[in-house]
Amino acid sequence: MIEVNKLTKLYGTVAAIEDVSFEVAQGEIIGFLGPNGAGKSTTMRILTGFTPATSGSAKVAGFHVEDHPVEVKRRLGYMPENVPLYPEMLVTSFLSYVAEVKGVPRRERKKEVDRVMERSGLQGMGKRILRNLSKGYRQRVGLAQALIGNPPVLILDEPTVGLDPKQIIEIRQMIKSLAEEHTVLLSTHILPEVSMICERVIIINRGRIVAQDTMKNLTRGGDEAALEVEAGGVTETVLAVLRGVEGVEKADRIGPGRYVVEGKDGEDVREAVSAVLVSNNCHLTGLQRRARTLEDVFVSVVAADRGVES
Amino acid sequence: MRNAWAVCKREFASFFLTPVGYIIVGTYAAISGLGFAASFIKFCQITMAPSEFGYEGIPDFEELMLSQFLVFCGQLMLFIGPLITMRLLAEERNRGTMELLLTHPLRDRDIVFGKYLASLGIVTVLMGVVAVYLMIIGQYTEVEPAVLVFGLVTVFLMSAAFMSLGLFVSALTGSQITAAILTFALWFISYILGTFADNLPEAVSVPSQWAGALQSFALFVYGIFRQLAIELPLDGHAEQMTQGIFEPADIAYYILFISLFLFLTFRALESRKWRA
Repeated sequence: MIEVNKLTKLYGTVAAIEDVSFEVAQGEIIGFLGPNGAGKSTTMRILTGFTPATSGSAKVAGFHVEDHPVEVKRRLGYMPENVPLYPEMLVTSFLSYVAEVKGVPRRERKKEVDRVMERSGLQGMGKRILRNLSKGYRQRVGLAQALIGNPPVLILDEPTVGLDPKQIIEIRQMIKSLAEEHTVLLSTHILPEVSMICERVIIINRGRIVAQDTMKNLTRGGDEAALEVEAGGVTETVLAVLRGVEGVEKADRIGPGRYVVEGKDGEDVREAVSAVLVSNNCHLTGLQRRARTLEDVFVSVVAADRGVES
Repeated sequence: MRNAWAVCKREFASFFLTPVGYIIVGTYAAISGLGFAASFIKFCQITMAPSEFGYEGIPDFEELMLSQFLVFCGQLMLFIGPLITMRLLAEERNRGTMELLLTHPLRDRDIVFGKYLASLGIVTVLMGVVAVYLMIIGQYTEVEPAVLVFGLVTVFLMSAAFMSLGLFVSALTGSQITAAILTFALWFISYILGTFADNLPEAVSVPSQWAGALQSFALFVYGIFRQLAIELPLDGHAEQMTQGIFEPADIAYYILFISLFLFLTFRALESRKWRA
């Protein structure tokens, strides 16, 4: 649904993004992850036809953004960052204006407005003036106007910024439910958000893509053989016991009553560790694999990127 | 074109959802009303004692009162017009709603024509105010209705031309104040130019020690500037038409003026594609 090929955008001589290439298949939810100023919004603005690219090409739903902007815009719902709105308008009159612009026939307009309002949790807010809406509701109106006309592709720029935790959960669930019918590209700088909503992640840093893969692949590997152990008893004793287990390469204390254990060559030593601790009266209270979180991935790829440059 | 209509409706509605629309119409009605009363009273004084004002016999109503009043109504756009046009595109930039406008399935022509039509909508409301004066004139004088209608059309054309200039300026900047001041300045300069133009002699003296070719060149350049000063101002072309004299050149002038500035607005809007 979305094909981006070697996209570059220069502001003067500064590259906002450089050689960005990725693809999004139909029905996928892709997280666009990066620190502030990494080039997420720039990429999205190029895809939506708001900003022209300096070089490279982008295709949405089979149409080149530059050559067929209107065809692309008909198939795309875009929620800009900070959701600019006409402050003097009512929620419903704004949404029905958008419906008219998006070519929803007059007779279906009211139904379509009702549908997107329900979808984005705006029931009963129709007669509110946009100026008076709270941040959370503005965000919903932004989402609602993107959903009008049921476009196959949705591009959401930081959809959860500025919301309270309850609203964030609601919006996330809403976005997840959208994936059944839409292809979604959403940007965020909040890591847990991506792990919660997205199937695939594109990590962008300083205008370049530094990693792109499924959540599963990105978080796999690394320290998977390491175990986190919680146990009572004297530290030295516990460490000695742990180091004595067959197949254990290394054991270290990482906090009060908490240890990390690594097996030789990635060997799974959970059973052995628990058996030995129990038989030595060390009060085993916790044992878990140390999974690699998206945070680890992010920090390591961003750090690696920095290392290359400097 | 259906989308242009959608943009137009939204823009027009927004004028009257905020105080701006009412202030504009109210101000226009108040000032033009004062002007109407003042010029009517003046004309009555003249007709009662023409010789005191240096006239032999009763002067022509259409020339002395009607035409001048209608041109005045058009000139009022000097103050009111920038308030209408400054919002059109500059406000969209300023509020960031330009991002919505440019990412919805709209073509540039939908945006430009939609915005322009909305400004013409406001002008039409203002013409409703002028129509009231013309009805009063029609009631109490023997001016033919066709002349009055033609006069109204002329003021409309003059204002429409002004709207196209304002729309263009509004496309250039993200600040409403800048757009308003710039529009005001352009219009005012052209107005001042027009008042100068009446006093410009047909030829100026050129230093006789200059070579013959240089002399004629200097006169040629002067001629062009003089002609521009006479022809460019928007109000100059309304004088005859408001007296009911149909002048194709004047109508062509307004249509060309509007076309030129709409064309420039398209280019200004397109400039986003090559400006960083």
